[in-house]
Amino acid sequence: MNDREALVSELVGDRADAWDLAGLIPTELLRKLGEAGLLCGEVPGQYGGLGLSSLDNGRFTAHVGSLCSSLRSVMTSQGMAAWTVQRLGSARQRADYLPRLTSGTLAAVGFSEPQAGSDLSAISTEIRLDGDDVVVDGRKIWVTAAHYADLLVVFGRYGDGAAAVLVPADAPGVTVERVADPMGCRAAGHAGIRLDSVRLPRGRVLGGAGAALTMLVTAALSYGRMSVAWGCVGILRACLTAASRHAKSREQFGRPLAQHQLIGGHLADLLVAEQTATRVCEHASRCSDDGSPDLVTAAVLAKHVGATQAAAAAATAVQVLASAGASDGHVVARAYRDAKLMEIIEGSNELCRLMLAQHALSVSG
Amino acid sequence: MGTSTENASVEQQLLSFLEERTKTPWTPDRDLFADGGLSSLFAMELVVHLESAFGIVVAGPDLQLRNFRTVNAMVAMVDRLRQAAGE
Repeated sequence: MNDREALVSELVGDRADAWDLAGLIPTELLRKLGEAGLLCGEVPGQYGGLGLSSLDNGRFTAHVGSLCSSLRSVMTSQGMAAWTVQRLGSARQRADYLPRLTSGTLAAVGFSEPQAGSDLSAISTEIRLDGDDVVVDGRKIWVTAAHYADLLVVFGRYGDGAAAVLVPADAPGVTVERVADPMGCRAAGHAGIRLDSVRLPRGRVLGGAGAALTMLVTAALSYGRMSVAWGCVGILRACLTAASRHAKSREQFGRPLAQHQLIGGHLADLLVAEQTATRVCEHASRCSDDGSPDLVTAAVLAKHVGATQAAAAAATAVQVLASAGASDGHVVARAYRDAKLMEIIEGSNELCRLMLAQHALSVSG
Repeated sequence: MGTSTENASVEQQLLSFLEERTKTPWTPDRDLFADGGLSSLFAMELVVHLESAFGIVVAGPDLQLRNFRTVNAMVAMVDRLRQAAGE
């Protein structure tokens, strides 16, 4: 375990289940991690970040995910916000905002709307020029970490294309309302955002005029998908560990569960799932670190494999632990609920499969 | 503007890249995203490739499909961004 992992392990301790039940992570803990640059570890050193490679940040993300998926979700949001600024912003915007994101400012990214989920082309949030300002009107739903965020990165229509705009969470006209009782990642600060005639300086628009919404969103989500995929590796490791320990200690019919072949089969399935997801994530991160164009599809593949494997594995882990793991407050019960959400966010299973099918058609000749 | 030799080299490199990845020959003015063509996911792959192969950064305002629609459009964008980086 490296220093980063040890710090997070110490800060989380055995509190993840309590945060899950309360639906909140202490904000001071998030700021502490943010100030250490750990919530967006890939931001380059010139902006105060840790400058981690995708592979190193991915491994760290898996460690966080093995402890607490809500915390990992907040980390994904912060990283995606930083990535969006880095990818879409001007040199001046990068110099202005990235140091804030590596020194304690918490951020969230708003994509989905009431009528725009998988089909983000239906986004109706409007960013319109008004003199030297822009005015933002719209509504975002299920914005991870928005409850904690100081800064909201909001995607919307802009001119004849699209853009993202940086909105202070306390700007006049912004209303943030927590999602009541989400089924998973309960402490990730999911919230809806209303933007009513929010007036901001024009310099807060990322992406300029005329950019294609699909390209902006794909650019931002490539980071998010990678991060969620690594988080799923963490869920898989937590499930594998919990199920293996239980199988060794729990006796039925006069011997440990581990010596019953059907339970052994479950443990083997969990190991296969964890190893498969890890290898696919490593490949995606290496593509990113090498600047390979394969990274775009590899990120979708990693997210899809990670999410589906984690959801199936969490169900298997609950099955192995049976009544011992079938109530709130147990890591596998939490994993079961958290993993289901992973099959929905950052591209549902169905959307990922559509994208992978399109890719297969594109390269089939 | 870059020299015609430089632009021809970018064009050839892009045509080779496209043919290798799609197993289909392309011409400089063929629309990559027309019916039956490539996906928007592939457009982002092109962004990453252009950045790696030609040492440019394709940032916000340049992330327009029209910049990636044909090899000719990509050659023009690479030329423009190289010029801007050199100024």
